[in-house]
Amino acid sequence: MKFLDKFREIVEGLTVHGQSTAILKVKAQIDNLFILITMGDMLGIPILPPYYSLRLVPYVFPNIQNWKRYMLRERDFTDLVT
Amino acid sequence: MLDTPAPYVLLGLVLYFLTYHLYAKRIDKKIWESDPNRPTPAKLYFDGVEYFPVSKYVLFGYQFKSVAALGPIVGPLTGVLFFGWVPALMWVILGNIFIGWAQDYSSMMMSLRNEGRSMGPITYKLLGDRARKILLAYLIFYLIIITAVFEWVIIDVINRVPGTFTAVLFVFLGGIVFGMLIFRMRMDALIATLVALAIVFIGYLLVVYVPALRAPPTNFMDSPEFFNTYGFNPALTYPGTFTLLFWLLVLSVIYYISATTPMPKFLLPTVYVGYLPSIIALVLVLIAAIATPLTGLTIQQTPVRDLFVDPLKNPQGGPIWPILFVTVACGAISGWHSLVSSGLTPKQIEYETDALPVGGGAMMTEGAVALSSVAAIMVLAQPPTGAAAYVQGATLLTTKLLNIPEIYMRILYGIFVVVMGLITSMLFVRVFRLVMAELFEDKPLGNKYISPLVILTIAGFLAFVGSWTNLWIYFGGTNQLLAGLALLIIAIFLTSIKKPSTYVFVPGIFMAITTLAAIAWETYVYGLYALMNKPIGVQAAVAKLYGSEIVSISNLLSAVFGAVLFVLGAVMTYYLITGWLRYRRS
Repeated sequence: MKFLDKFREIVEGLTVHGQSTAILKVKAQIDNLFILITMGDMLGIPILPPYYSLRLVPYVFPNIQNWKRYMLRERDFTDLVT
Repeated sequence: MLDTPAPYVLLGLVLYFLTYHLYAKRIDKKIWESDPNRPTPAKLYFDGVEYFPVSKYVLFGYQFKSVAALGPIVGPLTGVLFFGWVPALMWVILGNIFIGWAQDYSSMMMSLRNEGRSMGPITYKLLGDRARKILLAYLIFYLIIITAVFEWVIIDVINRVPGTFTAVLFVFLGGIVFGMLIFRMRMDALIATLVALAIVFIGYLLVVYVPALRAPPTNFMDSPEFFNTYGFNPALTYPGTFTLLFWLLVLSVIYYISATTPMPKFLLPTVYVGYLPSIIALVLVLIAAIATPLTGLTIQQTPVRDLFVDPLKNPQGGPIWPILFVTVACGAISGWHSLVSSGLTPKQIEYETDALPVGGGAMMTEGAVALSSVAAIMVLAQPPTGAAAYVQGATLLTTKLLNIPEIYMRILYGIFVVVMGLITSMLFVRVFRLVMAELFEDKPLGNKYISPLVILTIAGFLAFVGSWTNLWIYFGGTNQLLAGLALLIIAIFLTSIKKPSTYVFVPGIFMAITTLAAIAWETYVYGLYALMNKPIGVQAAVAKLYGSEIVSISNLLSAVFGAVLFVLGAVMTYYLITGWLRYRRS
């Protein structure tokens, strides 16, 4: 990797990386909320009638694994720092 | 040559370099046995949101941005003012070599080996729920104290460097415009950045070229008669004054907005726009410190001052042990870093071998910032107290280097200190709000709009009536104790996986004992002055304005704070040491 590329990446880390990750988190929270409403019965929280959930499965399918991990992950106050 | 700061700064940089290549790499290889082929959480739990592999250069920049704030700037200069530049410089160098990088890097490695978990869940896993709850209570006190200290430091600079606030308003404006251009108008990031930077630059030039904009003047809310009557210096900031109250209210509004609005709307764009000119200021002062043999600036500070201070004669200080080790704060080691190093960064490390350049490298770079801060004070014959001393020193160093009028650099470093302070303290208030929401959920204290008021009221009261050096020692004490606790948790983890833990256990014990002693000392000073019904240092202004009772109440409150922190810290240290022994026996 060239010096200029390394420098560009360091500047990216200093400036936009935190911002882009925070935006991704906000988007993921909204997406996960949507999946919770539509697919909640996968975790034992039935919200939407199964007919509509099944209609939405093809669209939500690619994110189900990540959503489950997000919903079931341990939460802690020290995670709030970053 | 030896009468300039350059050789000492260079010595520090060379020692950091050698530490990285000879000591840190050995720890990485022999103890942690980092392996580029072992899958990291970023690969195992890839979700494209938090867990995804990122280049080590990007992560290095991110980690450095997350750990470097006002601490490595104000801490070392306070150490120089208390004890002279030799002890402060020695601790900045030795502290970083033996403890600082080890904590940051090891926290990151421990998180990597624990599925990217942060410090709280790892504490729970190793020591149970009680230890985690103590850590939580400790963090709440820590956030309150650090907010009070940063409020005071920011206000001190805004008040004593007129024009800074006007320029900082342009930073806010640039941030808001940047946010709107990116999120509302979907503009290209580069163009939006250039627009935002142009706004910041225009604000900076306006303040430099239009003296009328260097407003409001120092202590503008208080009459000159007040200073004459009581014999106070009108160029300094005093607690209890109307000016301080005014700026506290202004800061509280900024903190409240940043804590309650969505991050992409205010906090993130402001941090982004504010950080860009700060990088330039940071690099410039380091270059200027190394170039002092060329610019002709020599050391003006006493090498060693009083190593013991009688609290009855001068309560703003103390014995070199333990006070030096907590005043230098983040310049040598910081507990905040353990939380950052076990936060987002380990979730995005691509290879285990990247943890050393990212975690250890960022801490050593922060050490370089601390060295530049020491150099900035070394060249001042009669430095003012507080962060204004850094503004004055950095201005002198860079003005000589660039050979330009002093006002350019004074405003730049005024903006730099305020923005660096605001970036982190806005985050502290927000973290406090989130922690309260987790703790109290639907109760009023967990409410998004009420919980920031709690921290702003308590921290505001401490800043309004407190004396900043004593609060700084409290902040340093809590911060360094957090570091000691993190080191002991790492030692327990290493022992649990049958690895040598001496390199973190010994520094952990040293930091725990030192910081508990510092907190005990400061509790004693606050308690003593509360019982004697006497003000500490500049608290004299509060006593003269509002009577000595309010000062005694605030000192008593500070003493209670100190006592609670001491007990929490001592209990946690006990848990950690017994935990380490338990794991060692098993």
